[in-house]
Amino acid sequence: MLLRTFFLRPVRRRPLRFVTTVVGVAAGIAAVVATISASQAAVASLREGVAEIAGRARLEVTAPAGVPEQLLGRLRPISGDALVVPVIEEIALVPTLGDAVRVLGVDLLVDAQVRTLELSAKDGTPLVVAHRMLTGRGVLVPASLASRLALRAGDELAVSVRARRETLTVAGVFTPTRFASAWDRVLVVDVALAQELFGRQGRIDRIEIVPRSGVDEAGLAAWARRLLPPSVRVEAPAERGAASSRMVRALQFNLTALSGVSLFVGAVLVATTLATSVVQRRTVLAIARSLGSSRRQLALVVLAEALAIGVLGGALGVAGGLFGARAALASVRSTVAAAVRGVPATAIQLSPSLAIVGLLVAVLISLAAAALPLVEAIGTPPVQGLTSERPAFLRRPSRRRAALLAIGLLALAAALARAPAWHDLPVAALLASMALLGALLVSASPVLDALARRTAGPQGGGGAGTPLRLAVAALAAGRRRASWAAGAVGVAVALAVAIGTMVHSFRATVVDWADQGMRADVWVRPLTATTGVQVGRLDPEVVRTAERLFGIQVIDPFHTAEATMRGQPVTLGAGAFAVVARRGGVSFRDGRDSRDVFATALRHHAAVINEPFANRFRVNEGDTIRLRVPGGELVRAVEAVFFDYSHQQGMVVIDRNDFLRIYPDDGPSELALFLPPGADPATARDTLLSALGGRFLVEALLNKELRDEVVRIFDRTFAITRALQAVAVAVAVLAVLTVLFALLGERRRDLALLRAVGGSRAQVAAVVAAQAALLGLTGAVGGLAIGLAIGLVLVKVVNLQSFGWTLRFLPPWSALAATALLVTVACFVAGLAPALAAVRMHPSEDLREEG
Amino acid sequence: MEIVTELRSVTKRYRRGDELVNALHDVSFTLGASEMVALVGPSGCGKSTTLNLVAGVDRPDEGQVIVCGTDLAAAGEPALVQARRHCIGIIFQAFHLMPHLTVAENVALPLALDGRRDPARVDDLLRRVGLEHRRSHFPAELSGGEQQRTAVARALVHRPAVVLADEPTGSLDSASGAAVLQLMDELRRQEGSALLLATHDESLATLADRVIRLRDGGIEAVL
Ligand SMILES: Nc1ncnc2c1ncn2[C@@H]1O[C@H](COP(=O)(O)OP(=O)(O)O)[C@@H](O)[C@H]1O
Ligand SMILES: [Mg+2]
Repeated sequence: MLLRTFFLRPVRRRPLRFVTTVVGVAAGIAAVVATISASQAAVASLREGVAEIAGRARLEVTAPAGVPEQLLGRLRPISGDALVVPVIEEIALVPTLGDAVRVLGVDLLVDAQVRTLELSAKDGTPLVVAHRMLTGRGVLVPASLASRLALRAGDELAVSVRARRETLTVAGVFTPTRFASAWDRVLVVDVALAQELFGRQGRIDRIEIVPRSGVDEAGLAAWARRLLPPSVRVEAPAERGAASSRMVRALQFNLTALSGVSLFVGAVLVATTLATSVVQRRTVLAIARSLGSSRRQLALVVLAEALAIGVLGGALGVAGGLFGARAALASVRSTVAAAVRGVPATAIQLSPSLAIVGLLVAVLISLAAAALPLVEAIGTPPVQGLTSERPAFLRRPSRRRAALLAIGLLALAAALARAPAWHDLPVAALLASMALLGALLVSASPVLDALARRTAGPQGGGGAGTPLRLAVAALAAGRRRASWAAGAVGVAVALAVAIGTMVHSFRATVVDWADQGMRADVWVRPLTATTGVQVGRLDPEVVRTAERLFGIQVIDPFHTAEATMRGQPVTLGAGAFAVVARRGGVSFRDGRDSRDVFATALRHHAAVINEPFANRFRVNEGDTIRLRVPGGELVRAVEAVFFDYSHQQGMVVIDRNDFLRIYPDDGPSELALFLPPGADPATARDTLLSALGGRFLVEALLNKELRDEVVRIFDRTFAITRALQAVAVAVAVLAVLTVLFALLGERRRDLALLRAVGGSRAQVAAVVAAQAALLGLTGAVGGLAIGLAIGLVLVKVVNLQSFGWTLRFLPPWSALAATALLVTVACFVAGLAPALAAVRMHPSEDLREEG
Repeated sequence: MEIVTELRSVTKRYRRGDELVNALHDVSFTLGASEMVALVGPSGCGKSTTLNLVAGVDRPDEGQVIVCGTDLAAAGEPALVQARRHCIGIIFQAFHLMPHLTVAENVALPLALDGRRDPARVDDLLRRVGLEHRRSHFPAELSGGEQQRTAVARALVHRPAVVLADEPTGSLDSASGAAVLQLMDELRRQEGSALLLATHDESLATLADRVIRLRDGGIEAVL
């Protein structure tokens, strides 16, 4: 009964308000679900990939630049206790798919015991398949990929390996028994074919060791280590995954933090809406109580409503989040792929636990938000609930308390922003951002109060001033709700501004860096996947062709390989220092001319390191670093530190000749061409491409094309962040809308009275619209200030701590001003709906005497 | 005597469920300048409806409501606003002060809405209703009698030709009710405004020049 009277009835009579509330909850939850499931999918694909493709291996033998094949023989003594399996794992591009695949080279005879892949019976007996694999450049294709590319046993499959076009024959189609998504993009070939394709003569990527049952793993590992040279690592596959995913961890952390932030915005909105709807029914609740309803009955009604809103909003949010996640995945995927050499991410699947968490969060926040004002409403004696709210100004002590709290939070934020990273993660800095948002919420009430004081004062004035003053007075009277709304707007604007500032600073820095550092006229690289991610390397033949055509002195092939620094994986890069010393490249932290740096480095056999490396290992100009490389140790002085926004795990660059003494020539990852002045880059590109003929699948980009592409990749990577920015603005507008409708409902009688004592419709509408604009403006100004502060923390602290990148702080002033203006205008426009409702009210009905 | 308000054959119907109810049926009367007329009758007889029509916050279904020379039944919204701003002052049973404005601000409201400012006039009225010391208080801080005195000052501040009072003492105890009524009559005499008073309590009608008794939406007697 009570439920019907106090909940269903109002919902039916004012469906719009209920809908706004539900939509608000849904928006918050959707943002969270989208961010989390997209990042989960991306990270899960990596995890599953590592875990599943490693099969049942318990131990792995790895070495920088690969494990020499003959070490397999050295492990023969343990073969009674374990299976010893050679593996090559590389990446190739399937042009018909437009995407990268993992190529797994295995010893088919032993491997069947490690990886359980069910072969399709159509393709013949396993023996027939094995025969095809060993003799005819055969490849096993997962069923999902086979159906996508319409492949059957015996068909040809073209792949681009080290930019060479290679044709393989489908020997069979397999169905993975577990983790189908991990195997979605994996081609299986014989290890000998893999060696041939990837130029790994005499080397393999790892040896997997699978203990037979009952064999002690630790003992086995120790035994294997004794048999092998010290430069080789023997460890569990998980450890390899963990070490290589430092970047993914940072990415995941930041995505989760973003999700948390969107949750925060959602929570603020939900709280605003529900608190408003409860406060609004103060009178009704008071009447019900004076008529004999128990507190528990009323609490039940209010909480039932909150529950309904939470469940509906949560369900909508989870569903909407899935849609958002699909869009988000594109952006997250290329980030992850860039980080871990083109691992394709799995499709979005909503994990049931995330759906449940989303729903629970929606419900909990809704209940909590309703509970606070409810306690207040049923805690006061009914009589007081019936008399009108007393609209005094904030008393001095509470004003001082709010100010002190806000200042305290600001100080806390400043201190936290200076704190060091926690396990490489910018936890303190993100807490600092939270403290800043807290300060914003806390100060909303005193700011509105001050505003009201300002405007209060002598009466009279022009006709336009009166609605404004009335609006301010009304806001001051309903300050508790109004300050929530202003706070919600502020938080939303702050987030939009912070994100905008971060992205813009980052983008401007990267554009600058690209302009400065990318000086070559033509870049050649293997064909990229549709994600824009580079797949594999260039065949050394490409370098030789270019050298023949243009001369050695203008060719700068850039190689990368793995090395370890203090036990951590890093990238070792190599370029033609002699070439760059003439033409210049990247920009250096100490501002030196890059030509000098490379010339000196070449003379002194020194290295240059990128900024993430310097930050990660606290190495500076002039220090000496020691890297573990295949032949032993590489000791080099650091000539200078260069800005770099791509190799987050740290990169050391040495001269190419130096590099080729340590690593076999697997081909460079890219090749830069510095043409003599006056030469036409486009012509040079055509010359090179036609010389390479159809044998190689390469892309050649001119200077401007590459720089444009850098920016394009950047924008795609940050697409998700921008979407979040839009959500934040939407949240701000929704918050204002809900609160205004509520304030309007509460002040119906006042507005009717205004009409009765001579107010025109326009004046009444102006009062309501002015409230909207004031809420928006207050929130926007506060949000702008706090958002800039958070942006500063993101740019200067969070990015440095999680990626090792120094960015310049470059707020996009005009865009920020536009955002603030947009939000204010949006709030004003949102206020037109309640203003219209106010105009349409019938004064005589709202003024009818209750007695 | 100059006529400031005239109702001519006014009928007002309300829809209650599926049927139409006559709240007023063929009501006609006049109100002269500076005259005080009391509308009396039991609850539901149509007193508030009459006052709402004169205040221009509601429209009749038939007939004319002429206030200060304008037929409000036919007037557009701007004319209604002008009538309320210059011609009519209202006092309600439940006071209906703006809770977030101070006493002085409440009194000045009709002027402010018209874009006027007259602090001297506001002060004068506050003094005359005995609320100078309360000028910066909010309504919630006042007693019922004080709130209604504020409403009286507000109803007179713009020198209306007609003051409408709907059960102005209905929310007050009899002593303060009588005091407010006395004050109201005194002030409107000084100002030269007419007063249309609606009350179910015939004893309050003794101050009136004329008493119109309503029953079921029609005039039963004029005394
Ligand atoms: N907005 C309305 N809707 C429906 N009926 C109404 C409305 N206002 C008044 N009435 C009806 O009109 C009649 C007269 O009401 P009213 O003028 O308020 O009486 P009084 O003020 O004399 O007590 C009553 O029967 C009342 O129920
Ligand atoms: Mg009445």
